[in-house]
Amino acid sequence: MVVERDPAEGAEPQDSRHPQPTVRKLPDSAESRAAGQRRYEAIVDGWVLHVTVERADRARLRERAARAAAAVVRHAGVTVRAQIPGRVVRVWVEAGDTVGSGQRLLAVEAMKMENEVRAPRAGVVAAVKVSAGQTVDLGDELVRLE
Amino acid sequence: MLVANRGEIAVRINRACREAGIESVAVYSDVDAAARHVRQADRAIHIGPAPAAESYLQGERIIEAALRVGADAVHPGYGFLSESASFAALCEAAGLIFIGPRPETLAALGDKLAARRSAAGAGVPLVPGTFDPIATETPDGVEKVAAEAERIGWPVLVKAAAGGGGRGMRRVDDPAELAAAISAATREATASFGDGAVYLERYVEGGRHVEVQLLGDDEGAIVALGERDCSVQRRHQKLVEEAPAPGLSRSQRQAVHALAVRVAASVGLRNAATAEFLLTPGGDFYFLEVNARLQVEHGVTELVMGLDLVREQLDIAGGSGLSATVLAAADRAADPTRHAIEARISAEDPSRGFAATPGVLGRWREPGGPGVRVDSGVEEGTVITAHYDPLLAKLLVVAADREAALARLRRALDEFEVGGVQTTIPFHRWLVDQPDFATGRLRTDLVDRAWDPAPLWRDAAERAIEAVSRLASTGDASTGGSAAHAASRVATSADAGAASKDLWAETARRESIYRWP
Repeated sequence: MVVERDPAEGAEPQDSRHPQPTVRKLPDSAESRAAGQRRYEAIVDGWVLHVTVERADRARLRERAARAAAAVVRHAGVTVRAQIPGRVVRVWVEAGDTVGSGQRLLAVEAMKMENEVRAPRAGVVAAVKVSAGQTVDLGDELVRLE
Repeated sequence: MLVANRGEIAVRINRACREAGIESVAVYSDVDAAARHVRQADRAIHIGPAPAAESYLQGERIIEAALRVGADAVHPGYGFLSESASFAALCEAAGLIFIGPRPETLAALGDKLAARRSAAGAGVPLVPGTFDPIATETPDGVEKVAAEAERIGWPVLVKAAAGGGGRGMRRVDDPAELAAAISAATREATASFGDGAVYLERYVEGGRHVEVQLLGDDEGAIVALGERDCSVQRRHQKLVEEAPAPGLSRSQRQAVHALAVRVAASVGLRNAATAEFLLTPGGDFYFLEVNARLQVEHGVTELVMGLDLVREQLDIAGGSGLSATVLAAADRAADPTRHAIEARISAEDPSRGFAATPGVLGRWREPGGPGVRVDSGVEEGTVITAHYDPLLAKLLVVAADREAALARLRRALDEFEVGGVQTTIPFHRWLVDQPDFATGRLRTDLVDRAWDPAPLWRDAAERAIEAVSRLASTGDASTGGSAAHAASRVATSADAGAASKDLWAETARRESIYRWP
């Protein structure tokens, strides 16, 4: 999704259905400073969003690179990562299994609820990186699909 | 009095103690040492490390603490030990007053199957289902269960006998998934309650969840203080509650209040409890269960009835009969003259299946103004851990009627600013504008059927990028931005940089950066 704004266009009229966004600058990391990026947290309609800002020409370059990388990733397979920290309680698949889109892969228990992790698309399980009983952190690799 | 709980409910109970002139004692785990409920209490006692099983669920340690400080009573709040018959019995054996029902009542009600049997004995209508736990260990267990489910009728709900809060509950539409649902529910029930027994109940399509607030005294007097509708749920966990239940006739209210009192009397209820019912599209009430404790959503009843239920709990535990205020409120329970709504503000991401969002609260600004009440247990800088329930606060509004209450809720949600951690606020903003919700056509599957966060999130991301790039573009020729949301990084790009014509808006946004350290 690309949002383009006409430089001649002024601010949108205030919309009474939405409160004013609240914005806060986040501390720069050495990495983001080197890349010429600044990070902000914005609260919009109750959503908490992290916004990275950089010069438009750099952003365009990076987007093109990201699209190319995404195309490669689509061929190479997809990594399913933990969306919540918790404990793996069940694993339904093993390496070599063929799975359909939306099929259950494993269950992660967090805050005493079991959350089923499902396949984002059809494919063959290349590797299962966790086992039942293991604790996982946000973003940990769970399953690789080819 | 010792408050054996944490978070918003401990704060709520401390407040009632303070007003009643009763000294309150907090208990806390390692991570809660500086929490609001601890600082607010007159005394505080450390009871163990962060995991609840090693702190807030350590009944004997809590009783020891109560005795050490010379407390007379223990208020368990909700969750944790609130419905533990053995904890209540331990309190009484130690000479402490347990603010709640008698241990034997808790034991009878804690087993939902026993509660079903005693309600059936009292002639209260029940959802079709089983009266005994499912035996899964026996070789032909699965076949027998499938036959039971056929008899009850699909879809069925698998429920934990010791359950609560939607844990250990699974809806099953397809007979092939029954066995898997039973084992998942059993595991969840074992993890949450230490008891894996589950049973079956018919899932009623289009049903509503209506519950009745009850208060009873030592003499056996029991009154109903109006009903609440808690149909807005996600995975059987309540998100929004309101009182009174919209669209009921006076005779329907009287009927469900009478059923609730009958169930409570059959188990000898004392102190505060709630009887839950399923209201079918045909207008029939089926008894579900009794929660023998203060409910999360007790505040909506307080706002409509003009009561302080925690204060009444304290007085009842002190040996007083039901107060004149309570009896008068009970008399007009079927003729409510106000409407209250509660929205649960939880550390959950409504765009990712309400997954928990642990983190540090950056900004925390509660709404205020007429008819708004916020019961919260957090503040800026509070660390939200995965150890406890994600409920941060309850936003309650009260007004003359439902329409005015909805407008008030919408206004209060716009005022509620939370940063650092994603909360359920965007969900509530969406809900108040849903035609079905706004017109009171409630049903428990509303959220599963209609909640689609993607367009809302995209719209917010666009607006965020615009707001930030305006801010950040001063001096630069032009900027691009991308918005990301926790783990899911969405490629969003903006080409902004025009000078704003709305100077006040731009100034306000720029200033907000400096106002917010």
